[in-house]
Amino acid sequence: MALLAILPIIGLPKDWILYIFLFCVYLALANMWNLLCGYCGLISLCQTAFIGLAGYTLVIFTWNGLPISLGILCSAVVAAVFAVLISLPLFRLRGIYFAIGSLIVPDALRVVFLLWRPVGDKIHGKGAGYMLKGLEDISMTHIYWLAILVGIGSIFIMRLILSSKLGMGLAAIRDNDTAASSSGINIFRLKLCAFVISAIVSALAGAIFFMFDGYIAPTGGFNMKWTMTMILATVIGGISTEEGPMIGTVIIVFLHFVLARYAGISLVIQGTLLIIIMLLVPQGIMGFLRKTRPYQSFLRLLTR
Amino acid sequence: MDEFIASLGSPLIMGILLGGLYAVIALGLSLVFGVMRLLNVAHGDLVIFGSYFAYLVITFLGIDPILSLVLGIPFLFLIGFAIQKFLMARAFKLSMEAPLIIAFGISLVLENVYQIMFSPMSRGISTSYSMESFVLGRIYIPIVYVLNFIAALLVMVSLHAFLKRTYLGQAIIAASQDAVAAQLKGINTARIFAMTFGIAGATAAVAGVFLGLTFPFTPISGISFLIVAFGVVILGGLGSVLGTFMGGMILGLAQTLGAHFFGSAAQMLILDIMVLVILAVRPQGLFGR
Repeated sequence: MALLAILPIIGLPKDWILYIFLFCVYLALANMWNLLCGYCGLISLCQTAFIGLAGYTLVIFTWNGLPISLGILCSAVVAAVFAVLISLPLFRLRGIYFAIGSLIVPDALRVVFLLWRPVGDKIHGKGAGYMLKGLEDISMTHIYWLAILVGIGSIFIMRLILSSKLGMGLAAIRDNDTAASSSGINIFRLKLCAFVISAIVSALAGAIFFMFDGYIAPTGGFNMKWTMTMILATVIGGISTEEGPMIGTVIIVFLHFVLARYAGISLVIQGTLLIIIMLLVPQGIMGFLRKTRPYQSFLRLLTR
Repeated sequence: MDEFIASLGSPLIMGILLGGLYAVIALGLSLVFGVMRLLNVAHGDLVIFGSYFAYLVITFLGIDPILSLVLGIPFLFLIGFAIQKFLMARAFKLSMEAPLIIAFGISLVLENVYQIMFSPMSRGISTSYSMESFVLGRIYIPIVYVLNFIAALLVMVSLHAFLKRTYLGQAIIAASQDAVAAQLKGINTARIFAMTFGIAGATAAVAGVFLGLTFPFTPISGISFLIVAFGVVILGGLGSVLGTFMGGMILGLAQTLGAHFFGSAAQMLILDIMVLVILAVRPQGLFGR
């Protein structure tokens, strides 16, 4: 981590910094999706809602002359409150119905922000977007450090959750919710807890991304592409494994890097990869690695 | 007061006619969901596939878009059949979310193939009659909307008859009610599922042509029509043809009336909130069992 942090100071090329930045943002998002889908069985398609809300919170803060650091903190609070609010209707749904319900939320928000101009009528571009103000005195290096903080932080958060009582309870719910409930686990509260944590981290990652981007529009902020990226990274790397999102995110960012000039083809490859991996190795690259002999002997070496 | 009622006439009629189109878009989604419990997020992209296919056929062969369905329906049937047979059938054995994630993959691939082939530009299918309309009292009705509605009625009635009267249709219904029991009775459920996905593809072909006649479409339009289709399915209940038709009507009316009272920007929001409320209060849909 310290090594990653000093990279911009020793003068790494600009696009390398950009790719590590993207890696960190995507990693945080993928980790949170993995937490929901891989460990709680919640197929959440509404993570974009938190990202977009974070972007708009930043807009409101910077346009009113408030410090951006406060804006970042507040975007997490807004996302958490919103997560609690939408959990009221959404958590009544299960499985596939939850997925449908959650898919509608970002679309509804997109329309809300098309209609509601939170900071006046001075918009940029056709999509009713806003520029973020007051970013001049924040350098790319600072934003990069924030991204590393959130990206690496999300790994520690996952570890913390999974080794805590919350993680045990979630695993029990995922495996058999009736049995979990009859052993005294409050399903609603545990799921809500995971949902709110994922909302907070996703919002932080979103806020940092929009600090870098400097511009937010309803269609971009609440775009399905975000959800796609999370699913791709998690599934390719290995769903329900801690290391999976890391490996998956590396692959996604690497594909971005190699096929930067052919964005369309890169996405076709990613989609095909997603289908192939799901069919051939449903546990992803990590799940596949775990079964192979070298990895197991490596583990044995570590635990000896 | 009379003025108020008179001004309502246009959105009411347009809403009902538009509802027909929405019902056809949602039909394939509802069928696949009802029979296989699969949320096919690629359905919107299959509908757009139908639109682009018709677009290609008329630019190269120069025939009427509705006639192009002679090619489009079997072609999309085969694609649907293949998706189920080669991809989904294996995914169903894995886990609950595997088919959903594969559908996501298909959607991602299709969207970007359209982007590469047809550029992100917005396109429409235009014919000699696509701009014409006729007058009913004081209301102008575009001919395309009437065609939409007639096509919707035809598709609904024939699908209903197919499900009720033929052996294959009855087998599909049996498989949707209880796949294991159907299998024990000697029904080849793997084949039935592939046929169902094929039929969903065929309805997507019809929906695609009429969608292209009514609205302009882009490579990423699939997602917005997918949400419309979800709305119809949630309102109407799963797997019921009549419910889907009613759901389409309600959604069409909600959209045109919403636009009439609150402006055209708010119409989608009204739709989304309606769907969320119904999901929370009555997840099996207004007409579901």
